[in-house]
Amino acid sequence: MKDIARQSMSIKVESMDMLNAQIKMEAHASATYLAMASWCEQNGFFTSAKFFFKQAEEEREHMMKIFNFLVDTGGSPISPEITNINHDYASIVDVFENTLEHEVKVTKSIHNIVKKARDLGDIATERFLDWFVMEQVEEENTIRDILDMIAITGTEGVGLQMIDNQVAKWIE
Amino acid sequence: MVEIYRSKYYSLHQAANERAFYLDLGQKTVRMSLCQLLSLRHKVLSISIETHFDSDLNKHGFEVLMLCNKEHLFILNTLEIIDLKNLVEHGFVALGLSAEKETIAA
Repeated sequence: MKDIARQSMSIKVESMDMLNAQIKMEAHASATYLAMASWCEQNGFFTSAKFFFKQAEEEREHMMKIFNFLVDTGGSPISPEITNINHDYASIVDVFENTLEHEVKVTKSIHNIVKKARDLGDIATERFLDWFVMEQVEEENTIRDILDMIAITGTEGVGLQMIDNQVAKWIE
Repeated sequence: MVEIYRSKYYSLHQAANERAFYLDLGQKTVRMSLCQLLSLRHKVLSISIETHFDSDLNKHGFEVLMLCNKEHLFILNTLEIIDLKNLVEHGFVALGLSAEKETIAA
């Protein structure tokens, strides 16, 4: 019997499902960073706002990378529906702490897909995610560095202004 | 045409010469590309069968299923949906595109 299904699609449907969930997660991250940029703008943290605008764009690029991979492999990418975006933060420290939490969640999700792709013998998906694994190391490190800088600078007096100015270092 | 999988009510077939699949839904047989079959899979596995047992969420226990870019419309009851889920899950295993018998929709 001619294997039309395999000729039309190079990955397993389980991988496709997990990658579609990841598309949604990246889109959610992009929308969350946009909300953070909005908060920063409204509260006078203009450099941090620029940082989050850039982060929002990057997350969308990640989403599109996965979307295009599903197109290339003959899968069915699903345009995500995004709801429940938090716009309320207690402080700039709260914003960056939430960012780190979000990045850790994304990392865990990527690692989970890699492990499952390995179990399925889906080498294409596993190799495709190599880039994301290393990207997440970089993303987490950036936010950790910013939180370290905040801890050293402190939030008293002109500390908040200094924090915002120093975030410029992490905008490439 | 080769039969890929047969459930209680439905059957999935492959027509290699046409590079297409046929889904026999009893009252109608639908021709599908693999993309359309993937779309059907997504729709069927996204249906929450739990809502069929909650009259507030699904009063009549029916699902309206539109296939192939709204070319076909089906109204299926709870048992038919469960059977279609079964056909989709086992059909993709038989096609070699799924490694598991129980797939979870994204």
